[in-house]
Amino acid sequence: MNAHVVLLPVLIPLTGAAVGLLVWRWPRVQRAWSFGALLTSFAAAIALLWAAWTRGPVVFQLGGWAAPFGISLVGDLLGATMALMAQGVLVTGMIYALGCRDKAITYPAFFPLFLTLTAGLTGTFLTGDVFNLFVFAELLVSSGAILTAIADDRAGAEAAYKYFFISLFAAIFLLSAVGGLYVSYGTLNMADLAVRIAADPSPPLLAMAMMLMFVFFMVKSAVVPFHFWQPDFHAAAPTPVSAMLSSVVVKLGVYGFLRMTTLLFVPQAATLRGLLVVLGVVGVLFGGLAALGTHNAKRMLAYSTLAQIGFILVGIGWGTPIALAAAIVLTVNHSLIKAAMLMLAGAVASRAPIKSAAFANITGLGKSLPGMGALFLLGGLALAGIPPTNGFIGKLALFRGGVLAAEYPALAAIGVASIITVVYVVAAFERIWWVPPAEGVKAKPGGDRLLAPALLIGLCLLLGLWAEPLLRLASDVAVWLGDPGLYIAAVLGG
Amino acid sequence: MDLLKALAIGAMFGVGVFQMLRRNVIRSTIGLIIISNAVNLFLLATGAYQGVAAAYVNEAGQRSDALPQALVLTAIVISMAGFSLVLALLYMLSTRYHTSDSDEIAELKN
Repeated sequence: MNAHVVLLPVLIPLTGAAVGLLVWRWPRVQRAWSFGALLTSFAAAIALLWAAWTRGPVVFQLGGWAAPFGISLVGDLLGATMALMAQGVLVTGMIYALGCRDKAITYPAFFPLFLTLTAGLTGTFLTGDVFNLFVFAELLVSSGAILTAIADDRAGAEAAYKYFFISLFAAIFLLSAVGGLYVSYGTLNMADLAVRIAADPSPPLLAMAMMLMFVFFMVKSAVVPFHFWQPDFHAAAPTPVSAMLSSVVVKLGVYGFLRMTTLLFVPQAATLRGLLVVLGVVGVLFGGLAALGTHNAKRMLAYSTLAQIGFILVGIGWGTPIALAAAIVLTVNHSLIKAAMLMLAGAVASRAPIKSAAFANITGLGKSLPGMGALFLLGGLALAGIPPTNGFIGKLALFRGGVLAAEYPALAAIGVASIITVVYVVAAFERIWWVPPAEGVKAKPGGDRLLAPALLIGLCLLLGLWAEPLLRLASDVAVWLGDPGLYIAAVLGG
Repeated sequence: MDLLKALAIGAMFGVGVFQMLRRNVIRSTIGLIIISNAVNLFLLATGAYQGVAAAYVNEAGQRSDALPQALVLTAIVISMAGFSLVLALLYMLSTRYHTSDSDEIAELKN
């Protein structure tokens, strides 16, 4: 297979969105077309990961310009894994949107925007150029902001404004970092930058550029001091959108930290890793405690994302091959679990008398929805890391990495945070499915379809019972990340 | 000349940050626009003025670097789209809440 396969997961959604906009007058055609485009692009992402896994990284130089001068798209093992994860979850998100009763779905640009979100996210994972990363990240945040602004919830506009404002500001940070790196090294290609930074880490602007980029990824992943926009934004977005934002879109920062510590800033990686462990531990504790104190199911899950991202950051921060593999397993698992849980919370809210996921509004509604209860309970077990779900596999790998790295204080903190996760998940389950409902409150018969969360929960169970393929992939990614020379040779040709 | 550029960028950044911290959402958006332009100037200062001859033209003299110009051009186009979206969101907020005071646009706080 030739190198063009790395273009497809980005180009297909972009073209699909453009054509989708042209047919906005025929909603059925638009939906079918958009779903078809996303499925095709998902198939391309599978082909890309397969090619990267069996035959080594797939590199494409746009416009035929040789590596450090043109823009490269790099489908290496990490990028391809993240792209496949993102597209898989986005496919289920679109399935949910197709069966959703929200008015937002009838917005003429909803499905095209979903596709540009896909293109932006996949592009950030596959690009090999720092400035191009900024371009794709902007595409991603503008699609996300519009999709939230059209929410049925009146507060959607406020949430979208907050998010977009913060994201534009974060983009300015990345742009300054790009300027600093260009002044210091005269190149923007990530592989070329890695070579030059390793050869000469002395320019005064390097530390500034590194920290600005670090802050950009912190904002993208809602790491603790920059988390304030995230619960608002994720709770106010329409359900299919918030399920995507809180699962795969926040993984952009995780991807960035992986690239920063294993490729771009290898000489400074020890500093960054120390910072990541501290931020991760603060994140798991803060996110868990904040999730305990919320009064809204979606908001609880949004705070829980802060905690789960914290677990991943701790894994990246330990930096040993086994901890990195654990971080990748956790990243994939969290995307699947959190998307499913948010869809279930949204589906319960869609059956409530008033459409809101506030606990006061949905208490006891579950009495007539036993199937959803089973799905929610399985998802909750996965979130808390209890067998036989995939959450258990990820947590186990992370704890093993921590014991081998002898990082006991951080291990104790994430142990406590895991228990907090059990507490808030069980509390939410009890409030929705066990407590008797208030007088006269009954679930409405119709509501959002459950195919998408059922698919995701099924995948969680499958990856819990048959975990070898994902674990093998993750350890291969960790081995690949262990040697930046491989990435550099693949891009620059060497 | 370098000092002058640095001072101008610094002053713009300072004005932008001051505006951004205002409670009025319109003023803070203007602050964001000013900061973004300061960063565009910074990108331009990374090397756009170092040569005298345009790139890809057969002229004598030191070639100027085309990349910072391309970066600034792209950044300007992207930020134009971004700011029009921010302004559209501001319009949405002002029709929904009839205010531009960020303290009064706080439904999500509760």
